[in-house]
Amino acid sequence: MAASTLAPLPGRNTVTPPNEIPLEKIKLPAGFKAELWAHGIPGARAMVRGDGGKIYIGTRGIGRVYEVTDTGAVRTSRVVVSGLTQPAGVEFRNGALYVMAIDKLLRFDGIATNPTVTPVDMTAAFKLPPLQHHNWKFIRFGPDGKLYVPFGAPCNICEPTAEYAQIRRYNADGSGMEVLARGVRNTVGFDFHPVTRELWFTDHGRDWLGEETPHDELNRVSSTGLNFGFPYCHEMGVADPDVKKPNPCAGVTLPVAQMGAHAAVMGLTFYTGDMFPSEYRNAMFIMRKGSWNRTKKIGFDVLVVRADADGKNVKSEPFMTGFQDAAAGTFWGRPAYALQMPDGSLLVSDEQIGAIYRISYGR
Amino acid sequence: MLGRWAAALALAAAASACSPAAAQVPAGRLALCAACHGADGQSRLAGVPSLAGQPRLFLESRLVMIREGLSEVPQMKGMLDALTDAELIELSRHYAVLPPPPAAGPRDPARAGRGAKVAERALCGSCHLPDQRGREQIPRLAGQREDYLLHSLRQFLAGQGVRGRDTAMIDALLGLSEVDLADLAHYLATMGTVAP
Repeated sequence: MAASTLAPLPGRNTVTPPNEIPLEKIKLPAGFKAELWAHGIPGARAMVRGDGGKIYIGTRGIGRVYEVTDTGAVRTSRVVVSGLTQPAGVEFRNGALYVMAIDKLLRFDGIATNPTVTPVDMTAAFKLPPLQHHNWKFIRFGPDGKLYVPFGAPCNICEPTAEYAQIRRYNADGSGMEVLARGVRNTVGFDFHPVTRELWFTDHGRDWLGEETPHDELNRVSSTGLNFGFPYCHEMGVADPDVKKPNPCAGVTLPVAQMGAHAAVMGLTFYTGDMFPSEYRNAMFIMRKGSWNRTKKIGFDVLVVRADADGKNVKSEPFMTGFQDAAAGTFWGRPAYALQMPDGSLLVSDEQIGAIYRISYGR
Repeated sequence: MLGRWAAALALAAAASACSPAAAQVPAGRLALCAACHGADGQSRLAGVPSLAGQPRLFLESRLVMIREGLSEVPQMKGMLDALTDAELIELSRHYAVLPPPPAAGPRDPARAGRGAKVAERALCGSCHLPDQRGREQIPRLAGQREDYLLHSLRQFLAGQGVRGRDTAMIDALLGLSEVDLADLAHYLATMGTVAP
């Protein structure tokens, strides 16, 4: 480990022009097609669809939230807000755009009709803890109308204090905070099962424990108050060698599936549209941004994962690939999040080159 | 209006073509940078970092962060406001290929020895590489000005002025003392430099 020269992969904070985006390298199952839907939005991560069909997109390092407008033939984009500390969380409800940075929550009321609306600063009501590492957000309103917010472990591996390594939910105004799940190292992707309404989330495993361990996780929250293991117990029951306690995996809810060691598992979207073939209905699209903490790179893809509603019989297969050259150890894109559109097509954001692809199916 | 857009698009296309002509930075712009960072990109001013030999992608990202107001550098405030991404990329290319500054001297062996141990414990070499030359989005530390390194390390540890920067650095420095930071800065500044 001390002699290792593995490092986080280089991101890019500048515009990548379309002629540098090798769309032809993307591979999809037969009948599916990818097009470059939007570009020139460096750092694009989670997407949410607002009123009037506008798409809002969060970022990390570059500090911006974008708004993409589809005029039919072309897409234009503008920066809604900039200079924030990793505003990765975006959500839309009752005409309001919610933007959550590590240290701030802003609500832009009626943004579709008032593009320059001054945001309401909601930060104080949400009582955000101060540590930054792994505390960039993914946020969603649940079927219960509450806002789900993760608070990652502020370290690679440590015994975090009580505010971290958990998923919380709040009323939209910040009241009624409840810790829903603990022992969650760093989730930046979740969705609600279309039938059971249960929360399913992805989680990043720790670094520096070897090439094949621990795996990133796919988890299911079947009730409140569950413990998902961090920092003592990883993936399917791997005890941590650095942070120890007796019976580290006792009482721990193990993952539904292992998603690849260090693969950087990101967005999770249950597909409920009509455009794709019926075997995709209620299946999950899971984005893997790609690994850095192993010598043989994995991920850089979108998986389609099918499972029973109780988390059994998990089957995972590649859906969207071609972003890396595994033999050469190189990559050009990093799929991060998906968004299902009203017509059943799927938008996929690429954080590496600041682009959004549209995946459609032609019968 | 349409004409202006067309011109802007043509400019963007030219800048992205990576032709030698596109890599030229206007002399006036460079003179402005040189006033503080040195004509050769090697700073001789207290607190001002050397840019020469820094990885291109690191410079690009820093320039974007300064332009966007994410990194608050009072001396740089507003100076990059009008620059496009393409112009920032050109500036970065210019400095990335200049020879990096030599090791700062003189070296205090006791302090450098302690600093080397801190670097080992914090695993600096994993990302910045064992000779601390940096790569891609990760800066060169070897030969950087000691005062600037110390300032930057303090910022990371305090979580201040680091919007947009990698929070993994906060994790890496957690638990280090002021003396640790000072020894580390001395060790890195007085390291012999290797060309990119």
